[in-house]
Amino acid sequence: MRTLNSLLIMLILLIWYGEGKKTKLKGIRWWTLANIGKPSNDLRSNTQLYNSPSLLPLTKKQRKLVTKHPGTISALQNGARMAIDECKFQFRNRRWNCPTQDVGNGGPIFGKILDKGNRETAFIYAITSAAVTHSVARACAEGSIYSCSCDYNLKQPSGKDWEWGGCSDNAKFGHKFSRKFVDVLEKGRDFRYMMNLHNNEAGRVHVSKEMKKGCKCHGMSGSCAIKTCWMRLPSFRDVGDRLKDRFDGASQVISGNEGSRILGNRPNTGRKKKRYKSFQFAPVNPNHKKPGRRDLVYFDSSPSYCEKDTSIDFPGTYGRECNATSIGIDGCDLLCCGRGYVSKSYMVRERCSCIFRWCCDVKCEVCTRTKVLHTCK
Amino acid sequence: MAGVVLENLSWKKLIILGVFLLVLLITFFLVGGLVAPKPSNVVTVLGTKCYDNGKKLNRSKWFVSRGIHKCEELQNLDPTDEMIVNKSITEKQVVFSFWLPGPRGGEERKMTPLFQNMLAVLQVDIEHSDKVPLSKNPVLQLDVRLGARDEGDDEDDWKQIASSVEDRNLQCTLEKGKGEGYLYDCELLQLFELGSISNHYYLVNIRLPVNFLKGYNVGIGKVVDISIHLIHQNGGFTIVWMSMKSVLFVMVLSLLIWFWRRIMQLGRPPNLLERTLFSLGVVMSILDCPIELLQLGVDIPFMLLLNDIRQGAFYAMLMSFWVIFAGEHIMDQTERNRLSLYWKHLSAIIFGSICLFVFDMCERGIQLKNPFFSIWVTSAGTKLALAFIILAGIAAGCYFLFLCYMIFCVMKNISAKKASLPTMSQLRRKYYLGVIYRFRFLMMATLVCAACTVVFFIMSQLNEGEWRWGDEDLSLEFTSAFFTGVFGMWNIYVCGLLSLYAPSHKTVVEIDSADGSTEENVQLTQLPTTPSETSALQALTSKAAQD
Repeated sequence: MRTLNSLLIMLILLIWYGEGKKTKLKGIRWWTLANIGKPSNDLRSNTQLYNSPSLLPLTKKQRKLVTKHPGTISALQNGARMAIDECKFQFRNRRWNCPTQDVGNGGPIFGKILDKGNRETAFIYAITSAAVTHSVARACAEGSIYSCSCDYNLKQPSGKDWEWGGCSDNAKFGHKFSRKFVDVLEKGRDFRYMMNLHNNEAGRVHVSKEMKKGCKCHGMSGSCAIKTCWMRLPSFRDVGDRLKDRFDGASQVISGNEGSRILGNRPNTGRKKKRYKSFQFAPVNPNHKKPGRRDLVYFDSSPSYCEKDTSIDFPGTYGRECNATSIGIDGCDLLCCGRGYVSKSYMVRERCSCIFRWCCDVKCEVCTRTKVLHTCK
Repeated sequence: MAGVVLENLSWKKLIILGVFLLVLLITFFLVGGLVAPKPSNVVTVLGTKCYDNGKKLNRSKWFVSRGIHKCEELQNLDPTDEMIVNKSITEKQVVFSFWLPGPRGGEERKMTPLFQNMLAVLQVDIEHSDKVPLSKNPVLQLDVRLGARDEGDDEDDWKQIASSVEDRNLQCTLEKGKGEGYLYDCELLQLFELGSISNHYYLVNIRLPVNFLKGYNVGIGKVVDISIHLIHQNGGFTIVWMSMKSVLFVMVLSLLIWFWRRIMQLGRPPNLLERTLFSLGVVMSILDCPIELLQLGVDIPFMLLLNDIRQGAFYAMLMSFWVIFAGEHIMDQTERNRLSLYWKHLSAIIFGSICLFVFDMCERGIQLKNPFFSIWVTSAGTKLALAFIILAGIAAGCYFLFLCYMIFCVMKNISAKKASLPTMSQLRRKYYLGVIYRFRFLMMATLVCAACTVVFFIMSQLNEGEWRWGDEDLSLEFTSAFFTGVFGMWNIYVCGLLSLYAPSHKTVVEIDSADGSTEENVQLTQLPTTPSETSALQALTSKAAQD
């Protein structure tokens, strides 16, 4: 059975390599938006972006979408940055520490790992898609995207608008926009396409599911006879945490029996609302549960990430700083893959006993300390 | 009160009336559920961090978060940020700006008077940082201004509505195991409440000035963002609510006139119960009167307060009615029909109402002057508010004890009278049966209404607007249905009382035809001369005179 499965995977991979080589990384170029203008308060980089949209590393469809919704570009830029920062934060203690390359316009910022279909790839897709959802929703709340859709709350006949029933939550637009913007890249009908779409959606769903409810009573004399509740956007750190949990529990899959997507129009209920395409994935280990909407899926096994691997542009864990006392994955034993580590003590002058004054003033003393640095051999 | 409509109504008519009222109730429920949108809507606006590059603190300048007069925006407030370091930006130069409401669908959305009122709550995002600890129970001091502008006005022409320096207690927690970079979970803070909406756009500017000497805004941690959740009534709900109120107003008012004319026809001064019932009708029609419609043309900032008072008056009147009704049905030999007999119960009600009124004046009354005011933010204010509410609660408790005792007395007397019913003469038996029936009917109706209110209330609290029945095409907005349904139900309750407990003209005729006149005289003299029976006699004689 196992051999059959691996054969199948190899077959799929072969097919995929055959047809998708040319276009496969074109769409994810938008990630390089993160590099345009460092995250600072310098406004010039943003205006530059507006002025020359042709320079954007986007596909035609994406560019159309961005032009249709002015203001989304800085949200996307923000989102790409958020995704990268979050990825680096979540993986700071692991062998694969989400390395990014400072490539010029157009190159894949996460490197060739995207050619693979492993756990890490799944995480990258999910976190970037989630970041777009999050930052677009945030930009809607900030009022920097004028064209955020209203989606009147009640499915009433026409003529009912914002004055009648108010608009929907900002997150809804973020979700929709992310779907249109991110998923547009995944063309074709191969297994990788299905995996990426699934992981994209998983990322978005996590943003919606992590939303917290806030309520306020405003009845007679402020009593709770009338109580209004709303959902508020989670912090992106929380989304990252959840996605990391899902990364740890991600399931290796093969294509399900049908092998193709099932359009989620529930046949009987006749609902108008289209459910998003859901795919049939079968876990490689038949004892495992089928992956749900929020689970990450992958089909390639990850390498050990110990040695330098040119096929994914990963430098290995040589020279990485590690924690000598930890027995976890950040500990020197595991991180250095048993190669051992070098300890070096050094003097450092750093800021200490700081007094912070909101918002942006920190007064510190400078202290000299001796520190020990452990690095992998 | 002798011979009310209820006793003399045939079962058939009673059922027809009951079905009619039930249909009416279901209509109200469905109107709320199907036509109206949810009662209120929330607009979330994330504050834009504006940079005030003026040398001196200029409090009269407005910082606008978008449009042609958009302020210079700061992307983040990190102390290590290049721009913040270079320009040595201090907290005095950071202004959080909110333009309410936000743009949607490509255009600026406008507030309308249909929204009736708005309430803004503040959500402060504080990032945990070991270098920037959050002190215990920190006080956030907001230097806040509220301005407004209309669509046609000059983009720069924001008129100040209110300005204040307010303290709010921050209560934040951090989940265990979360460290640097995680956000605290902070409780929402009330920002302002406006009782009327007369402008299209509102602008809020907030500064968080630090004062080390006085300890303001010192231990508030690393505030990264502030957002406002603006709650306003939905326009559609206002329209449905107002239409419903107008219909009910006409209904109650016409019934009230009918009721009063009927009493006038009796040719005797109305007894206590009739007067109470009439007052209940009057208070109900005052509550129904759709004066909120005036807000569409005129700016009435005290509408929230007025609505609270109207609602409170109705509750007080309803409670008074119950106690007087029960009291008038105690079938003992005491002389009743006097308001002074109920001083204990009524003073409990009045005391409770006054407590709540004072509390409401403290909160909403002061809000008329300063919309940022809230009695709950200072500890003294909280104690005062709690004291009033507890006193009102005690008064309500006393009232219910009195009421329960009274109902217990009535029940005791009913069972005593029931036992001796067979030995009574026909007229006397008919009289007592009537009293018992009347009482039981009201008791049942009241209990059903109260139970429905409680059940609906719990249901609406459980699902908080998320409740949707059926498919997307046929969704029932439960919260709205709850409001229209319950409001309609109590109106129908009052209408039912007014129509069923109005004095009947029929009684006398039936007695005339059923009993021999000689026997009747004998029976009547044997009756205890309770006030209600004297009124029966009066009714009898007046009817006879008319004949």
